[in-house]
Amino acid sequence: MSATLTTAVIGTGAISQEHLDFLSRERVSHIVGVCDLSRASARYAASRFPDARAFTNHHEMLDTLRPDVVHVLTPPQTHAAICRDCLEAGAHVFVEKPVALTYEDFQKLWTTAERYDRRLIEDHNYRFNTPVQTLEQLVAEGQLGEIREVEVRMALALHRGNRYNDPHLSHPSHQLPAGVIHEFLPHLAYLALRFLPRVDRVVAAWRNESGNPAFQYDDLDALVFSSNIHARLRFSCHTQPDCFTVTLRGTEGWAQADLFHPCVQTSWTREAGPFSPLLNQMLGGAVLLSAGVANLRRKILQETPYEGMHRLLRMTYECLHRGEEPPITFDDMDRTSRLIDSLLDEANRL
Amino acid sequence: MKLLVTGATGFLGRHVVVEALRRGHHVRAMVRPDTSEDALPWRPTAGLTFVRADLRSPRGLREAVRGVDAVLHLAAAKTGDFYTQFRGTVNATENLLNAMADESIRRLVQVSSFSVYDYEKLRCGSTLTEDSQLIDIYADRDAYAITKLLQEQLAREFAEEHGGLVTILRPGVIYGRGNSWTARLGVQWGHRWIRIGANAPLPLIYVEHCAEAVVLAAEKPASIGQTINLVDDDQPTQRRYMRALAAHAPERPTIIPINWSCMRLLARLAILTNNLLFGGRARLPGILIPARLHARCKPLRYDNQRMKSLLAIQPRYDLQTALARCFTTPESVVTPLADGHTVDKEVQDACASPI
Repeated sequence: MSATLTTAVIGTGAISQEHLDFLSRERVSHIVGVCDLSRASARYAASRFPDARAFTNHHEMLDTLRPDVVHVLTPPQTHAAICRDCLEAGAHVFVEKPVALTYEDFQKLWTTAERYDRRLIEDHNYRFNTPVQTLEQLVAEGQLGEIREVEVRMALALHRGNRYNDPHLSHPSHQLPAGVIHEFLPHLAYLALRFLPRVDRVVAAWRNESGNPAFQYDDLDALVFSSNIHARLRFSCHTQPDCFTVTLRGTEGWAQADLFHPCVQTSWTREAGPFSPLLNQMLGGAVLLSAGVANLRRKILQETPYEGMHRLLRMTYECLHRGEEPPITFDDMDRTSRLIDSLLDEANRL
Repeated sequence: MKLLVTGATGFLGRHVVVEALRRGHHVRAMVRPDTSEDALPWRPTAGLTFVRADLRSPRGLREAVRGVDAVLHLAAAKTGDFYTQFRGTVNATENLLNAMADESIRRLVQVSSFSVYDYEKLRCGSTLTEDSQLIDIYADRDAYAITKLLQEQLAREFAEEHGGLVTILRPGVIYGRGNSWTARLGVQWGHRWIRIGANAPLPLIYVEHCAEAVVLAAEKPASIGQTINLVDDDQPTQRRYMRALAAHAPERPTIIPINWSCMRLLARLAILTNNLLFGGRARLPGILIPARLHARCKPLRYDNQRMKSLLAIQPRYDLQTALARCFTTPESVVTPLADGHTVDKEVQDACASPI
C-alpha cells in the first residue's frame, strides 16, 4: 500500500498507544500531526514520527495540516463536536467508541459525513478479533444450526484501584449517560448485533450494587429480543475473574469465544452419536490446553487483546486508499447507536 | 519564605515539610483532594497550611501556587503503567508549571532522580557526576526513568520560556524509616535476598539529609540554574549495606550473591535469546534488560562536590546513626534543631510525627 494518505491523531490517552503503535508499524499513511490539550503529551506522541507536528488546538491542526484521515481518541463527550470539525475540514474520521452519546447526535454526524463526502468509522475493534471471526465462520458454515441465543458478557473489577475509581480525580466516563459502563456498552452492542437480524424489544436492568457515588451504574443485565433469537448483554463489576466472552447457542450446538484470553470452545452434535458429549469434552480439553500454551506465549510476547483493532485499521486504510466502503458501515454504527439508546431508554428499564 | 510543597505526604515530602518548618519557613503542603485529615503525617502547627489539589488536573492549581515564594516540586508517580506514570509525573508537572507561569511564580526546586542517567554509557568504576550523559526518551528503561527525564525537560523549558528560576535536584537512593531497601542491591524474594554484585558503592542519601538539601536549594540563590546530585559522603558497598540491613531484619535473611559480571553476561544472553527466538518482543524482568540492570547494579562512584559547594550542606548523621534512626521507634527519635533556629513546641510535635 502506498503511503499517500496523511493522518493526524487527536487525543493521546491510553488507547492512543494502540493507534500510534499501528500507525508507526504499518506505515499505511504519513503521520503529520498529533493534538492534545497537554502540550507535553502531544509532543511526546508526535516525537515517534519524523514529520509529525504537535498541537494543542485541533482547529489549528486541521487548518494547518489538512489531514486526509483523523483518529479521534478523546473522551466520548467530545466525539461529536470534534468529529464534526474534522469532517467539515475534509478529513475521513476514525473515532473511538461510542461515536456519539445519542442516536440523534450520530445521525447528525452521519449527515455531516455525507454532506462533505467523507467516511465516518466507529471503532468496533473486537468484531475483528480472531475468536469472533471464528464464531462468524461457524455460523456461516451452519455448524451451530440456527442461532437462538447470544450472550455477550464482560466482567471488569472497575471498583478496584484503577483510573475508573480514583478517589482524587474523576474519570471522564463518570459523566456519560450510563457512567463507566457507557465506555464498554458499544462493545456489547455491536458484538450482539452481529448475530441478531433485528431488534424487536429491549429490557434492561441498570443497577449500582456497590452504591459508589462515582459510578452511576456498575451492573447491567439486558435482554434483547429479535424474532426467535434473544440476546443477553451482561456487564458486571462484581463477578470475577475479569472476562469478555461471546457465547452463541444454536439448534445444533454452542460456541464460546474468549476475547481476553483468545480461545473458542465448541460443542455440537457429532457423527459419534451418543458419544458426542464425551468427544466434545475431550476435544474441549485439548482446545483449552492448547489455548493455555498459546496465551502464555502471547503474555510473554506482550500481545494485547487489540489484535482486532489493528486488523480493522489495516482494512479501513485499504478501503480509504481504494475509495471503497470501510469495513464498519453505516448500518453497523446505526444499529449499535440505536441499541444503546434503547438500553438507556427509561421505557425499557426494569 | 512561603513554600509550596507538592508530594507533601510522600516519603520525602513529609520530611521536607518538617525541615522547612524547622528552618522557619511557612509551608503550604499540597495534599490530594480526598486525603483524610486523620491520615496526614503532621499535627496542626503554626506556619503549616494545606491545599487540596490533584496535579493531574489544572483545577485549583493557580490558587494553590498563588503568593508563594518558591515551589518545591516532589510529586511524581512511581507505579502503574507508562500512561499512569506519564499523567502523574509529566502532565502533573506541566499543569503545575502552567499555573506558576499564570501566577508569575518563578522559583522552582524540581526533585528529579538518578534514574535519568545513561548508566550503560558509563565505564565500570567511573564517576557519575551531574554532567554524565542522560538517557533519551526512547531508551530501554522503565516508565519512571523516562517520565522523570521528561519532567526535567519541562522544568528547563519553564526556565527558558517563563524566566523560571529553576534548580533541579537529583537524589540518589533515598533511604529512611520504612524505606531502606534499594533495587541497587538486587532482588528481595521473601527472606532470600539475591545480591547482584558486592563492591559497587551505593549512592545513598538519608531522607533527612535529602529533605534539608531540598529546602536549602530553595534558600540558596547560588543553586538557581543548577542541576545538583544529592548523595551522602558515606557510600557503603552493596555488601556492607546489605549486612547492615540484615542485622536489623526481623528474620535473618539468606543472602544469595551473584557476581556482577555473571549477571551482566546473563542479561546479554537473555536479550540475545529474546531477539533470536521472539524478535525482541518478549517481556523480560528488569534485571535481565541490560540498560536497567546497569542502572541498578553497575559499580560506579558518585560525586557530591556540587551539592556541598552550592548548598553548603553538612549531613547530620553517618550511615550507622542514620540506619539506627531508621530502625528505632518513631517516638524515641527527635530531630535536633539547626543551629541558629528556634522552633516552638508545636513544630517540634510536627517534626516528631513522621520521623
